[in-house]
Amino acid sequence: MGGRWTWRLAALPGVAWLSIFFLVALYAVVSVAFGNQDTLSQPVPFWNPLDWNVGYVLEALRNIWHGGPFLTAFLRTFEFVAIAMALSLAIGYPVAYYAARHAGRWKGLVLLLLIVPFWINYLMRMLAWINLLSPDGWGTRVLHDIGIERVFITLGLLSTRGGWLDGQQSTVLIALVYGYIPFLILPLFVALDRIDQRHLEAARDLGATPLSAFLRVTLPLSVPGILAGLVLVALPMFGDYYTPDLVCAAPKCNMIGNQIDQLTRQGSEKVTGAVLTIMLALLLLALMFYYLRTTRRAGTASAST
Amino acid sequence: MAGEIHLAELTKVFDDVIAVDGIDLEIPPGEFFTLLGPSGCGKTTTLRMIAGFERPTSGRIVLDGVDVARVPPHKRSVNTVFQSYALFPHLNVAGNIAFGLKYHKLAKEERQRRVAEVLESVRMEGFAQRKPEQLSGGQQQRVALARALVLTPRVLLLDEPLGALDARLRKDLQVELKTLQNEVGITFVFVTHDQEEALTMSDRLAVMNDGRIEQAGSPREVYEEPTTEFVADFLGISNLLTGEADGRGGLTIGEWTFVCGQGATSARGDVKAMIRPERIVLEPYGSSGQNRLPGMIEHSVFLGGMHEIHVRVLGGELLKATVANDGSAQNVNLEHGAPVTLHLPEDALRLLAPPVTAQADNAAAAAERPVRTAPSR
Amino acid sequence: MSWLRNPWGRPRALVLVTALYIVWSIVPVVVAVLFAFNNGRSRTTWQGFSLRWFTGANGSVFHDPALQSALKHTLLLAVICVALCVPLGVLLALGLQRWRGHGSGTVNTLMLLPLVTPEIVMGVALLLLFLRVFPGVGLGTPAQAIGQVTFTLSYVVVMVRGRLASIGPDYEEAAADLGAPPRDQLVRVLLPLLAPAIIASAAVAFALSIDDFVVTQYLSGDASTTTVSMLLYASARGAPTPALNAIATVALVITLATLALAFFLYRRFAGARETAAVATLEM
Repeated sequence: MGGRWTWRLAALPGVAWLSIFFLVALYAVVSVAFGNQDTLSQPVPFWNPLDWNVGYVLEALRNIWHGGPFLTAFLRTFEFVAIAMALSLAIGYPVAYYAARHAGRWKGLVLLLLIVPFWINYLMRMLAWINLLSPDGWGTRVLHDIGIERVFITLGLLSTRGGWLDGQQSTVLIALVYGYIPFLILPLFVALDRIDQRHLEAARDLGATPLSAFLRVTLPLSVPGILAGLVLVALPMFGDYYTPDLVCAAPKCNMIGNQIDQLTRQGSEKVTGAVLTIMLALLLLALMFYYLRTTRRAGTASAST
Repeated sequence: MAGEIHLAELTKVFDDVIAVDGIDLEIPPGEFFTLLGPSGCGKTTTLRMIAGFERPTSGRIVLDGVDVARVPPHKRSVNTVFQSYALFPHLNVAGNIAFGLKYHKLAKEERQRRVAEVLESVRMEGFAQRKPEQLSGGQQQRVALARALVLTPRVLLLDEPLGALDARLRKDLQVELKTLQNEVGITFVFVTHDQEEALTMSDRLAVMNDGRIEQAGSPREVYEEPTTEFVADFLGISNLLTGEADGRGGLTIGEWTFVCGQGATSARGDVKAMIRPERIVLEPYGSSGQNRLPGMIEHSVFLGGMHEIHVRVLGGELLKATVANDGSAQNVNLEHGAPVTLHLPEDALRLLAPPVTAQADNAAAAAERPVRTAPSR
Repeated sequence: MSWLRNPWGRPRALVLVTALYIVWSIVPVVVAVLFAFNNGRSRTTWQGFSLRWFTGANGSVFHDPALQSALKHTLLLAVICVALCVPLGVLLALGLQRWRGHGSGTVNTLMLLPLVTPEIVMGVALLLLFLRVFPGVGLGTPAQAIGQVTFTLSYVVVMVRGRLASIGPDYEEAAADLGAPPRDQLVRVLLPLLAPAIIASAAVAFALSIDDFVVTQYLSGDASTTTVSMLLYASARGAPTPALNAIATVALVITLATLALAFFLYRRFAGARETAAVATLEM
């Protein structure tokens, strides 16, 4: 059906687009990171690798090495992401498990309800939380009334009564979990849904208790899905700056995304911003390729069915 | 002249796999011709080359005197019935059938008339407005057939069209297809792996293996006079015996000698011989005479009109003989474990040539050319 | 059926957790939408039902120039995005799926990369691209549109490819067999069968564009290139009126309606199972 070149030609516009607006753009970041600043504090990219200026890169590395704000931001980002993912998994796995394996008649409806937040504007969902957690918001009142507020204050997770939006790290964590958990639940759902019921029946037939069947069959079989979901969530979360900005807006909540944002979009230190962007991208490269490899294999498998 | 196919040294290579290895074939017009063989033997690839979906690596496909090997499929007056039927889901039955008529430049009424006519010939009148998903397997198959026939092709290609149907429906449709072909009179090229189907329906057939044609001929020829072990084995039960031939039709198995009246009687050395189950005569143990072989009954299978007796002979092979339940073997003890003598009549015992691939390897070795591929199975 | 008892004790525990989660997930948004209809300036205290923030004379979505501009700009970008990324994406999907020979793996990886790249990396990259590589274009609407197309393209490709894979080559071969030249094979057979996926991916691209924030913000020029998302971000911590809720609600309704329409169409043509797979973006 058409020669070898017909279909390759069809792919050409898309490839050209991505090459220019994605690959070249990424290279622009590299060139700026190894570039310089002109007298107007605007970045000057050095396109030729032989001309590269490592000055800004070294400065950033020194900052990190000596425990400066960049290091703090990276570490805090790791911390937030790790905690948020752990919490998301703790909440999300049971929900996905129920939806995939026990929902019965309600499966379609539950799935729909799980999908909907996926498509609601992230900022709107954050806006909703800001509404609820503002000093006179419903959320604040409810949390106060059922005693959770007191627990948080006692644990040192909240500084003042009603001050949820007043520079609290715990609020950032809650917001991150709220914001990203739908992106975790769906891959978990898919992975758990795919597990053939007959494996479990076989396990039961061979004498396993429900708990044992879960631990020895369902859980291991769902691990690839768990990993895929975690990676899928971790990638955007690492680069998040808007969530801390919206619910905290204090330096002690700054993630690496905030640093980059402050330097690039808001400030006039675009070169350093580019350097940090490269560092972040390199850090996440391993995760990115891991995810690509696993979905490509899954993609070819499902395409053949 | 319409519908005559001539394949000359047709070859197709995929990457480093030789799917079709230089086959030659002549199919006269109006014949029901079958390509028969196991999966991977190249029959479907050959069919697809005739249809135009695969470009041959080399060789010619001559249709009514014109080499169409390089002609794209939409320009050949050859039509295909696909294994999956490939009925267009977004069109109804009438739309599917009329699809190709658009390229025949007919007036609307003429188009509609032909659609109605062909629907009648496949006995699907009244289904014109249905969608493919609303039809059963057998119905879809008939629509696929109608869609191809309405274009009055010179050749109709059928790629295992009955494969997806259950046994009874298959038998019915086999008869229908054969009748249809007789009525319409165009050349049918039919691909199947089911030897019974091939024997039932074909005027002539070709048995393929590993990209080559082992034997081509009428069903009777191929069944009763197989030229190679592969063909003998593929069509029905072959009952192969291994022994040494003396070049004049004599066969020695262990300490027993036989006279073979059929096949490669001039072959020498290590050969195989075959005899069809219905030609073996069971005699009481110890009966003497030419072409007798002792054995022991291992198994007796009741098949309704006959018994299939499995006999273990002294060379270690298991021969299967069929005995009609008409009282003809009354004087023989057919119990499990009973000894028996098998009479292999001279005119039913056939010496076989080695498979075509090994023959080619032997010839190549003899001419000191490189052997084609890994040793044949 | 006793062996179906879940390992946490009783299925009821799971039902509870799921129900709580769903409530926790959706209720805040419902409340926010509710307050868009509040008859007062508060976003936290209910003062009665009113449409003033939608159609009222002062400071409503229909009458506030800033809100109107944001909404119009959001829709403009969404339309441009769909108009560009659907044709590009369909072609790329066709090309990738039918690619014969080497190179398809590389192109496939290139196509998937934007999906796994964090948005801030893309934002910074595109910002620098339009400041230093294409200074003639600069920041603003064209840049925002291009940026959005760049990351939604992959979603279109993945969805169309999935459908292509399940269609298979048989139908086009059948069409060719019946006499259709290559152009007709495409137009009379492949495209009609592909239509549901094309429509669904258009809806997805539309939704992604409306909901997008980082790239759109990074490539924004002046106040005239503000979108609804950017507005939400800028005003959220201030003391905005429920008009903010109102405009968010409008965008939400448009997005969900488009998606619902597209997925119902898809389901009609492609069946429920395939639709569920696409909806969860099984890649």
